[in-house]
Formats: sequence, structure tokens, C-alpha cells
Amino acid sequence: MSTHSFSNETIESNDLPKAREQHFLPLSPAYVKVNLLCRLLLWFIVLVALAVVHWQPWFQLPSPMQTAIPGLLIAIASLGLLLSVYGIIGDKVKGYALREHDLSYKSGVIFKSIISQPILRIQHVELKHGPIDRHFGLASLEVFSAGGAMHTFAIPGLPEEKARELRQYILEHGDIAANE
Amino acid sequence: MNNEQISTIENVTEEYRDKWLKLSPVAIIYFAIQFIKNTASNFVYLIPALVVGYQKLADNIVSILIGVAGILVFIAVSALVKFYFYQYRITGQRAQIHSGVFQKKHIDLPFERIQNIRFEQPIYYRFTDHVCMLLDTAGSSKAEAKIIALPKSVAETLKQEILLFKDNASDTKNQRETGQQQDQETVLNTRSVRDLVIHGLASNRIWIVLGALAPFFNAISEQVIEGIESFGVDVEALMSSTQYAMWQYILVIASATFIIVALLALISVIGSVITFYDFRLTRSGDRYIRRNGLFTRHEVAMRLRRLQMIVYQQNWLDRLLQRVNLKFEQLNSSVERHSASTAGGKIMVPSVTLSEAEELARDAWPEHQMGSIKFHPISKRLMVRNALVSFWLFVGSAIVISYFGHYQLSAALIALFLTSLPFIALRWKRWGYASDDQFIYIRKGLIGVSYRCFPIHKVQQTSFYQSWFMRRFKLCSVGFVLACGGQSVPFIKEATGDALIDNTLYRVEALRKSWM
Repeated sequence: MSTHSFSNETIESNDLPKAREQHFLPLSPAYVKVNLLCRLLLWFIVLVALAVVHWQPWFQLPSPMQTAIPGLLIAIASLGLLLSVYGIIGDKVKGYALREHDLSYKSGVIFKSIISQPILRIQHVELKHGPIDRHFGLASLEVFSAGGAMHTFAIPGLPEEKARELRQYILEHGDIAANE
Repeated sequence: MNNEQISTIENVTEEYRDKWLKLSPVAIIYFAIQFIKNTASNFVYLIPALVVGYQKLADNIVSILIGVAGILVFIAVSALVKFYFYQYRITGQRAQIHSGVFQKKHIDLPFERIQNIRFEQPIYYRFTDHVCMLLDTAGSSKAEAKIIALPKSVAETLKQEILLFKDNASDTKNQRETGQQQDQETVLNTRSVRDLVIHGLASNRIWIVLGALAPFFNAISEQVIEGIESFGVDVEALMSSTQYAMWQYILVIASATFIIVALLALISVIGSVITFYDFRLTRSGDRYIRRNGLFTRHEVAMRLRRLQMIVYQQNWLDRLLQRVNLKFEQLNSSVERHSASTAGGKIMVPSVTLSEAEELARDAWPEHQMGSIKFHPISKRLMVRNALVSFWLFVGSAIVISYFGHYQLSAALIALFLTSLPFIALRWKRWGYASDDQFIYIRKGLIGVSYRCFPIHKVQQTSFYQSWFMRRFKLCSVGFVLACGGQSVPFIKEATGDALIDNTLYRVEALRKSWM
């Protein structure tokens, strides 16, 4: 492995392109809505289940549980509402950026993270869309490197058209050929 | 030159080419032992029952003998049948294996998909000098092919042929180098039994042995108590009597603990010797070869360009003894993690001295400076954060618990919080990072310590992480994903983190060097 030719290059680190100062594009607005609906639905199901247990006529619950349920209902409802609002903010913060040689994905409100994936290291690309995603014309792009399944780079909630474009861009990228 | 080489190889292996072949008959033993191993692991749980029912069984010894004989015959027949149905064929560019009696299994493996070639030599293959040849693919472990018995010389030439084929398929420059250096193997490191004893003492090889014993634990402990009682010692009376002073009890318990620890250490040493006996690390061309094992000999080869990360690992005993476990990590498949370090493609050199480790690492990556580079400490805020987490976890719950009146429990929790503090400080002290032109170095650990070093251009993915707490103090954590897994450095200055990530991405994308 001859690496000597590269050690001469002195690149001032100020001149390097900055991964954190990219222009991140937001995900599809539909994604935020769909996620919100799913979350609300989930919490609603939990609430309904509890309510059914409370007001059903078939069997008697132990009395401390019986008296605790109305309070619990209110607590869960407010927690669900709070988490849903937090979810909206979280989804709006998510974004992706595409540079000449890499993809980045940003997420998190309190815990922020930015993941960058050089296109050169991409092994294969997958488009995923579940039944709900399909109905709303959404897709998520999953990119696999040799880092393993634990470190799959994924951008959720892209408009299907956009996801296809991105995949095409990656597949036709010159770096991928160099990877072989 | 290469074509000549290939043609000479083809002459040696000519009778092994292009036709369906049966294994050497010695493989029957392999099948039989494999069968016994598989069934034994299922029936191990019956052994305590057998021990209990021993008396009854002793009465009808004849039918038992017949039963055992029947089982032996069954094993022999099944091994023969498996042997009969196992066929393999090596054609110009692929290895094909047909096996299975009822459930047929066909493997067809093109040479270019073979990632790694390993040899295993169980003890009963040694007399006839046969080996198992394992062909690993990059995919799942199920796609791995195993040619169960080949004469060693044939296996060696086949291996060279496959490797040469792969070289021809890939870049031509590389192949000339390997072609020339193929034959000369230089020994880089060997381990004496003394080294292995040190390794056994320092690391917990015991789990290898204990894992095998696990099913017998119940039976063993019962046996031990029975054994003690048969010497006329009444364990219960001993415990409850008041005729002995406290210091006598303490002495007894202390010496018992000492004996147990000594015994465990002994078992661990034995495990280490069995696994790593006659350890040899050799290099031929760009290929590292590890051979080890007392009973079953393992042979693993790794190409230098596959090497992803070098790790020096020291636990607290290693630090006292001034030894290092050196690891060469290559591709990571999750299956390999579960098994002991003998399996899989990882190369570990047990308990070398620091200077030996340096020498080996320098042989692989001449430019690395693991021994000499100065590590930067990370921010002390990590201690603050962890102390806060520990505080709320222990003291918080202590307050809640004392509200319900369990004062002793909450005192214990507060004691736990206090003991966690030195560990939090130690953990911070161990963290360190450094980088130079080509490599990133990470130091981490708690009581033991490990030093990691990887080339920047082999990074697969980077991540930048910052919580609200860290943002306030202009700190961040960075992560680097390699083909052997992810590495991270927590709580460094935001500017440093940005520079590390930007520089890494630049080096990966601009140099465009291969990671394998």
C-alpha cells in the first residue's frame, strides 16, 4: 500500500468543504402529516383499549385499578399529545443534503445528529415503501455500506419521485464504478 | 509468468478438476464425530437423569449394551451414507458441492465470490494429513462452503489457484507482487506455552471451557456436596454451630475462595493453551496467516488490504504484566462475534509484549504511530454528565425509596452512587483521541484499556452528534463506521469534531482509495 504520494498534500482544514454547513432539504410535508396521523392513531388505540377495560360489563377489576383508570386516561392522553407535538417538531427538523460525493441526513431536536455517507463506499441502494407510504406516495431510501446493517444510512419520507431520482443519481455516480 | 504458475498448479491438481469427486475416506470419521457432537448437545440434559437412575440401569446391563451397540451402528451407517452422498467438483472457476441425504444441499460458489479461505485440521486428520477447507463468502455464514477432507498438499495448491484467479480478475499490478512472493512465508510471531499461560491468567479464556460444561453444572454441584458429605462433614451443622470463632469462618471462606479462584485460573490457562497452542503468525506477500490450536488446528489467512483496524487490548492484569493482546480486525460479520477468537477471520495475537505489538503493527502499517502519538483528552463535561445521570438514577431513587421508609435500601443506593464516581472519573481518563495524516487513533476503557488505530481512507460513514447539553458547551461526539464496526469519540470540541469529519470525508472522497 503506497501512500507516500499523498502525505505531501497540505490542505488547510478551513478550506475543506464543511459537512455541517450544507443546505439541508426538508422531507416531504406529507411525511410529517402521515407520521402525525400514525402517532395519534396509536395513542387513540391505547386510550380506547383502556376505556373498554374500564367500562366493560363482563368482569370486575380490582378496585385500586378501577379507580386509577380515569386519571391514567388523562395522563396518557396528555402524554400522547405532547409526544405527538414533539414528533411534529422532530419530523420538521429532519432533512437531507446531497453533495457531489456524499449524502447527509440530519435529525433530532434535543439530540441532534448528522450522518454522512460517501457515495464511493455505497454497496447497494434500496427503495422501501410500505402500504401506508405507498398510499401517500412516499418512499424511503436505504443505502448500505460495508459498515453492516447496524449502520444503514436511511432517508425516510421522500416523495417517491424524488427517491427514485436520488437512487438513479447514486447508481449512475462515477464513484460507484470506482468502488468495484 | 502467472500463466506458467497457473498451469503448474493445474498439473498438480489435475485429477481434482472438472469431475465429481468423493472425499477421502477419513471424512467418515469427521461425519461420525460431527453427528455425535450434534446429538450429544441435545441429549446432554439427560445425563443428570442417568446419574440418578444409575442403580436401575445397572440391573439390566445387557439391554444397555445392546442399546449402545445399536447407537454406534446407527452412527456408523449415517456417517457412511453422508459420506456416500457428498460430492464436490472444482471446475475452472467455481467450486460445487452436493451434500445431504434426505435434504439435498447444492452449493455453487464462483471463485470470485470467495472472500476468505481457511483450513481446519481436527486431531484425527493429522495422521493422514488431511484438512477441511472452508470457503467464506461475503454474504451470510450459511453460504459458506466446506470441503470436508482434502489432502493438505492439494488443498494448498487449490487455495493458491483460487487466490491467483482472484488476482487475475482484479488489478494486474497487485497480482504480480503476490505471485512472486507467494512461496516464501516469513514467520512474524510465535507464542510459547509460557506466553499462553500468561494469556490464560490475564484474560477470561475460562468461558470457553465453562461454556462447554454449562449443562453439567447442576450435576456437578450436587456431586461436590455429596462428596464433601461422604467425608463425614456435615455442611449444615458446620454452618449453624457456634463452636467456631468468627475468624475461623473467615479463614475457611477465604481459603475456599482462593482455591476456587486458583482453580478457575487453571481452567482458563488450559483453555488458552488448547486454543492457541503452537501459535504462528506468518506473512507471505500481502497475506497474513494465523495457525493455532492443540487439538483442532486452525489456519486463517487475511490479505493486508483487508485489514481495517489494529487494536491493542489490555485488561488490568495485562497492564500489570506489561502484555498486550493485538488484534487485526477485518470485515465484520455478526456471526463471528459470538464464537471464540479462533473462528472467523479476525487475527488475534495473544499476550505479546508492547515492543512486539509495535513491531507487528509496523509490519502491517509502517506509517502508524500508535506507540508514540500523543492522545488528546476529551472534555471533562463527560464526567459531569455521567455523574449527573448516576446521581438521578441512584440518589433520585434513594429519595423516593426513603419516602416509603426503606432507609437501609436508600443508604445502599447512595453508597452505589459514591462508588460509581471513581469509575466515572477513570472512564473519562481513559478516553483519548489523536489523528495524523493517515490514521485516527482512539484510546478507551475503564479498568483495562484498548488502543485502536484505523486508516482514515477506510471509513465507510461518519456521524456527528450533539445533545442540547453539549451544544451549550460547544462540544460534540463523532462516529466513524468501518467495515469492522463503528468507533466513536465522545465529548470533544465542536471545532475539532467538525475538522475530523470534514477531513475524513475529504480523504475518503478525494483519495478514492479502496477499503479492501
